[in-house]
Amino acid sequence: MAEIALKAGGITKYFHDPVTFPVLKNIDLEVSRGEFVSIVGKSGCGKSTLLYILSTMDTDYEGKLEINGVNVTGKSLNELAFIRNSSIGFVFQFHYLLPDFSCLKNVMIPGLRLGRLSYKEVEQKAYEKLKMFGVEDLALKSANKLSGGQQQRVAIARSLINDPAIIMGDEPTGNLDSKNTGIVFDLFQRLTKEYHQTIIAVTHDEDFAQKSDRIIEMADGEVVK
Amino acid sequence: MKISVNTEIAFTYLASRKKQTIVASLGVMFGISMFIFMQSLMKGTNDYFEKASFSSTAHIRLYSENKVADTHMLTSFLQDSSVKILTNPKQLKQTLGLNNPYGIINNIKKNKQVVAVTPQVSAQVMYSSGSVTLNGNVAGVSIDEEDKMFDVQTNMVAGNLHDLNRVNNGLLIGKGIADKLSLHVGDNITVRAVTGNPVVMRVVGIYATTIKQIDETRSYANIVQAQNLLGKDRSYVTDIKINLADYNNAPKVARDLEIITGYKAEDWVQSNEQLKAAFKIRAIILNSVIGVILLVAGFGIYNILNMTIYEKIKEIAILKATGFSGPAVISIFLQQAVYIGLIGAVVGIIFGFSITFMVSRIYIGAGTLKYLPMSFYVPHYVEAVIFGVITTIAAGYFPARKASKVDPVTIIRG
Repeated sequence: MAEIALKAGGITKYFHDPVTFPVLKNIDLEVSRGEFVSIVGKSGCGKSTLLYILSTMDTDYEGKLEINGVNVTGKSLNELAFIRNSSIGFVFQFHYLLPDFSCLKNVMIPGLRLGRLSYKEVEQKAYEKLKMFGVEDLALKSANKLSGGQQQRVAIARSLINDPAIIMGDEPTGNLDSKNTGIVFDLFQRLTKEYHQTIIAVTHDEDFAQKSDRIIEMADGEVVK
Repeated sequence: MKISVNTEIAFTYLASRKKQTIVASLGVMFGISMFIFMQSLMKGTNDYFEKASFSSTAHIRLYSENKVADTHMLTSFLQDSSVKILTNPKQLKQTLGLNNPYGIINNIKKNKQVVAVTPQVSAQVMYSSGSVTLNGNVAGVSIDEEDKMFDVQTNMVAGNLHDLNRVNNGLLIGKGIADKLSLHVGDNITVRAVTGNPVVMRVVGIYATTIKQIDETRSYANIVQAQNLLGKDRSYVTDIKINLADYNNAPKVARDLEIITGYKAEDWVQSNEQLKAAFKIRAIILNSVIGVILLVAGFGIYNILNMTIYEKIKEIAILKATGFSGPAVISIFLQQAVYIGLIGAVVGIIFGFSITFMVSRIYIGAGTLKYLPMSFYVPHYVEAVIFGVITTIAAGYFPARKASKVDPVTIIRG
């Protein structure tokens, strides 16, 4: 039995606007270390909502959530911020780099925030991560000067700076052409195989999902299979 | 020194929005420089008026006050504890002179705070020249000591004040008296005290203070002359004037002297109530103007940071998603406010000093006041920086707190 990276039990969430209705119904989920999981489903089935609960950013839910064997439900916002900083990496659909900073700084900021390494060491590490994704030449360029594919690669590099146990992606390839999608997918696969990092990605991309280790299909707030 | 990541982000944001940073800093700069300018003007003016007032008033004046009869004598005569009631008490007949004035002076000199003590004989007189008569008073003084205490020399418009020591029956008159009686240096003037005989004196000098009332009534004579005018002996002294190292201690020292000597000691605060009131009113005007300026500067910062936060709301969400806690976000935005405040403070000090300096060179030419009185007082600059930074922190805190409450989920999901 592989190590459990993330365990969710009985996750239920309601939306209250305009009327109260359950968007997630009693969801149980276990993801092992090094697993590459895709969450698929139609728009509005609650897959993104589930991802944001798993990411600890959304705290308005019922049920229990454990990350790396540590219960995170009911922790303070500041503790959750630390957990996100140290053990969760994020990749969003629209890259979301900080445009006023260079690519290198963008990658470094979460590392500097964690403060485990010195400035020089974080810088060194950020270079390595950029190199992994073949964008080290862009390191000193301002983030808003990059193409979409380049930005997404920098964003993935950023998500890895603190060597998180879990990387979460909300449509990480949703905004990319097929060539860049291929690059990103290969990178994700390398991370799970070579570095034993866990990846949970919400996606609409059928090919992307098919190639991952496991597909969780959702419909109407429930896990279908 | 290790710069924290919050500081680095704050700096980057400030640097990437130079125009807004400059505008916000300018707001603080104006606030601080106006603060410095107004404070300097007020302190300068207050100092000027204080100095003007001390040019005619001693810090403490010791004199014998008329008393109303009380039961004190009766009690010491009867030696009992019965309650005595005096019906229709009268003023005690008393000479205005002090008993053993030189003994008192020696006693006062022992007080460490006292820097100058001089006896004076005050006499109510009538000046006459030709057919015109004028009421006034003669201050019998030792003119050298008087000059030391009140800087009479700077007020001289004609003649020489030291002639008071040389010329028999010399008199130093105010400009108002000279004008009204049409007198010049070297002219004769008849002076008549209430209790003495008319004496013909000679004008040896004319002085002018900024206070018209004094110029029209007071004249200086040698103390011996004043005693002669009143027909009194050489030990007759009506007032003792005392100056202290720090005039702010005057009320306290005056109380002590009253207890030691048994005479009335009036400090300058009591005799210059209107001066105090003027100080207070000026302080209120000044503080409200400064308050408004800083408030406006504060709103400037508040607005600019608020706009920054609206523009950067996605980035704030990203920072929070990647592990920046609420306090870290507050720190990022509050630091921006603080740096805006500090930049404004530094430039404001320079600008404030410059306008203060320039204004102090503006010619006014009213009475003895030649230039606008401005003071260059370091604590004003320190206060300005403290107030400026406090305002910016207060103005920056609310937007920063708002930024810290951004919910990353709603922003990132759109």
